[in-house]
Amino acid sequence: MKQELFEQQYSADWRDFNLWLKRSRLSRKQQLKTPLPFPEEEFPRRYRQLCQHLALARDRDYSHSLVEYLHDLVQRGHDALYGARDDFRSNVWQYAIGGFARDVRRMRWWVLASALLLFGPQLAIMLAIHIQPDLAYLIMSPSQVANFEQMYSVDAESLGRVAREASTDFSMFGFYIFNNVSIAFRCFAGGLTAGLLTIFALVQNGLSFGVVEMRLIQAGLGDNFHSFVIGHSGFELGAIILSGAAGLRLGFTVLAPGQRARGPALREVARSMISMVCGLAVMLVIAALIEAFWSPLRLGLPIKLSVGSLLIAMPLLYFTLAGRNDGS
Amino acid sequence: MLDTLRFITTPELIEVQLRPAGLLPRLLAWGIDMVIRGGFFLAAAVTLSILGGFGTGIMLLLYFFLEWFYPVLFEVLMQGATPGKRALGLAVVSDDGTPVGWGKSMTRNLLRTADFLPMLYGFGIVSVLIHKEFRRIGDIVAGTLVIHRDAHSPLPALAEATPLASPTPLDRETQRALVAFAERARSLTPARREELAGLVPHLARAETGPQGAARLLALANYLIGRRI
Repeated sequence: MKQELFEQQYSADWRDFNLWLKRSRLSRKQQLKTPLPFPEEEFPRRYRQLCQHLALARDRDYSHSLVEYLHDLVQRGHDALYGARDDFRSNVWQYAIGGFARDVRRMRWWVLASALLLFGPQLAIMLAIHIQPDLAYLIMSPSQVANFEQMYSVDAESLGRVAREASTDFSMFGFYIFNNVSIAFRCFAGGLTAGLLTIFALVQNGLSFGVVEMRLIQAGLGDNFHSFVIGHSGFELGAIILSGAAGLRLGFTVLAPGQRARGPALREVARSMISMVCGLAVMLVIAALIEAFWSPLRLGLPIKLSVGSLLIAMPLLYFTLAGRNDGS
Repeated sequence: MLDTLRFITTPELIEVQLRPAGLLPRLLAWGIDMVIRGGFFLAAAVTLSILGGFGTGIMLLLYFFLEWFYPVLFEVLMQGATPGKRALGLAVVSDDGTPVGWGKSMTRNLLRTADFLPMLYGFGIVSVLIHKEFRRIGDIVAGTLVIHRDAHSPLPALAEATPLASPTPLDRETQRALVAFAERARSLTPARREELAGLVPHLARAETGPQGAARLLALANYLIGRRI
């Protein structure tokens, strides 16, 4: 068959196909206004027919622009057919009620390593400062230490705030989200530097926590400090540890990809962890809510401690118990 | 060999070509996005500053979302292109040619951090420059590709001429060249057409009938199946 005849025979089909693709890009309201050139269920068949036309056009040496035209239609048809989205909302729900916990349990050794990298330096520096208080200045400048002491002092209006910023609960919420989630994302992505950035972030955070905590205890402000941090520490430290675990796993894959090339190995590992990273971002949002609206309240220490313990138990229980019914 | 095309075979056993986009268009697209993001943030900051502390909170949240989720939302919901990419005719797709979903888009945009190292996208730029499909680290790990998406052109009609059968049989290469010439004829000046026709005197010259470019057009018309 010659090109002219081929075009005459099928160009109406191609035009319909093009119209269908254009219509599928419109908003729902506009879609109702434009008629369907052919029913939806015919789309796969027509797409396959188009693929055949493209193959014929290439094989029979039809003109370059006809091949390009058909190629363009095939490509867009391919996008429309294979780009069909799965049920996003139900996926998120399934992940929240069990998938997240399963992913974390699967990574338990990485989580442990990450926790050691965070808490190890923290305990070490606390011990060191207990023996020799001036060691704190290795990590923080004297003015920073003084600043922290002021934040948790007896006469501070609400805990954990720098008085002269006169910040409100909500602005602190914004700050916590912006700051903490960004740290966690960087901790994960930093894994690509063979894990170095992740390790650095974990150790550095551990050291700062240790210095602040020990100095405040020494200044007699330990109760104030603990009543502030206990509420959100479960979610916040948990999420930081998880992001560290994900970063370490990524870093290890860079160093030892196993029996595959680095690219594909990294791709698979990152793909398996990306939902976990989103999950821990949600944990940080919860932590920020607690940190901004609950933790600064001045209530009796017993109340803060008991509610705080409950809040710490929540993520722990979730990760040990959720999603046990189907496997792992 | 020098082509940067990526060939993909779909389940229908048809080959689709993707054209990966290089550093420059991607940088420009990024610049446009930066301007849009920055402008939006500044405008919001001015209005929100009236609200005091509450406004600061919203501003920080807004900054956070613009920083991490602006590209993700556009890539997933708007056919793989942020406004900047759209302006440059680029789009993000999976390396098997399918549109990107939430997972892939999140991966490539979270790993932007790694591309940004050690400063100003240093690793990202090096990676784009040395990768044969111009991928940055985030693209390699997520399995995505930034491609040129051409504007959809309507099917051009071949310039009409009285069809003329070639006295001698033509091989495939020649047939292809003739039809391609006839298709482009409209966009060429008459002088250029004659100049091109002069390169193939054995086709363009004969004792009878039309001569030069007109003869090539007539041959092409016959080849695609037009008859008197």
